[in-house]
Amino acid sequence: MTAPGRIGIDMVPFTRVRALLGGGLLAGRMLSADERRLLLDGDEPDVPGIAGRLAAKEAVFKLFHATGETVPWQGIEILRAESGAPWVRLSGRAAALARGAGIGSVSVSITHDEPCAVAVALTAPDSEERSAP
Amino acid sequence: MTVNDGIDVVRNWILSRHPERARIGPDEDLVRTRLVDSLSFVELVYVIENATGAEIDFDTIDLKDFQSLSAIQRAFFTTA
Repeated sequence: MTAPGRIGIDMVPFTRVRALLGGGLLAGRMLSADERRLLLDGDEPDVPGIAGRLAAKEAVFKLFHATGETVPWQGIEILRAESGAPWVRLSGRAAALARGAGIGSVSVSITHDEPCAVAVALTAPDSEERSAP
Repeated sequence: MTVNDGIDVVRNWILSRHPERARIGPDEDLVRTRLVDSLSFVELVYVIENATGAEIDFDTIDLKDFQSLSAIQRAFFTTA
């Protein structure tokens, strides 16, 4: 059963992303291999894109109402559909938390403009569950 | 690195991110007081890993072990 009407929101300043890039933690702990291909393969890291994805991951995590859990950064992937819209892939602990919360699928919207990115996540009815576009 | 050195590294790292603070109480809740948020939590784990030399599995973390400096000391810097 899908939990009705859950919403999550989060904001990530670009300065936080630049600091994390310096420590190498983004690639190792927070972004999946597919996300790294989207965001880190260019000449320069896509800082607004990374900030948007980190905000989206946290916004999705908030849908789970998972008190006492850490954000499963790599299990919440924010990928890109052919249309350019972001889509969410859950795996591992993130997928288990979603199932436990009765969440079938998730939609996100991201916006970014210096100095920060903002993302909103919404639960979607099971009937609208999407596979990878 | 001694036990006290390790927790001092953690304390100093948190203080370096909060210049408005002169000290952190041993039982002060790091999350509730927003000394550590979800992004800096990843960095905190990294700081503890560096100080202990042991990797921490993100998916089996018990948040209670990171709730305060005294909890971190008990979980990661106490010798048997």
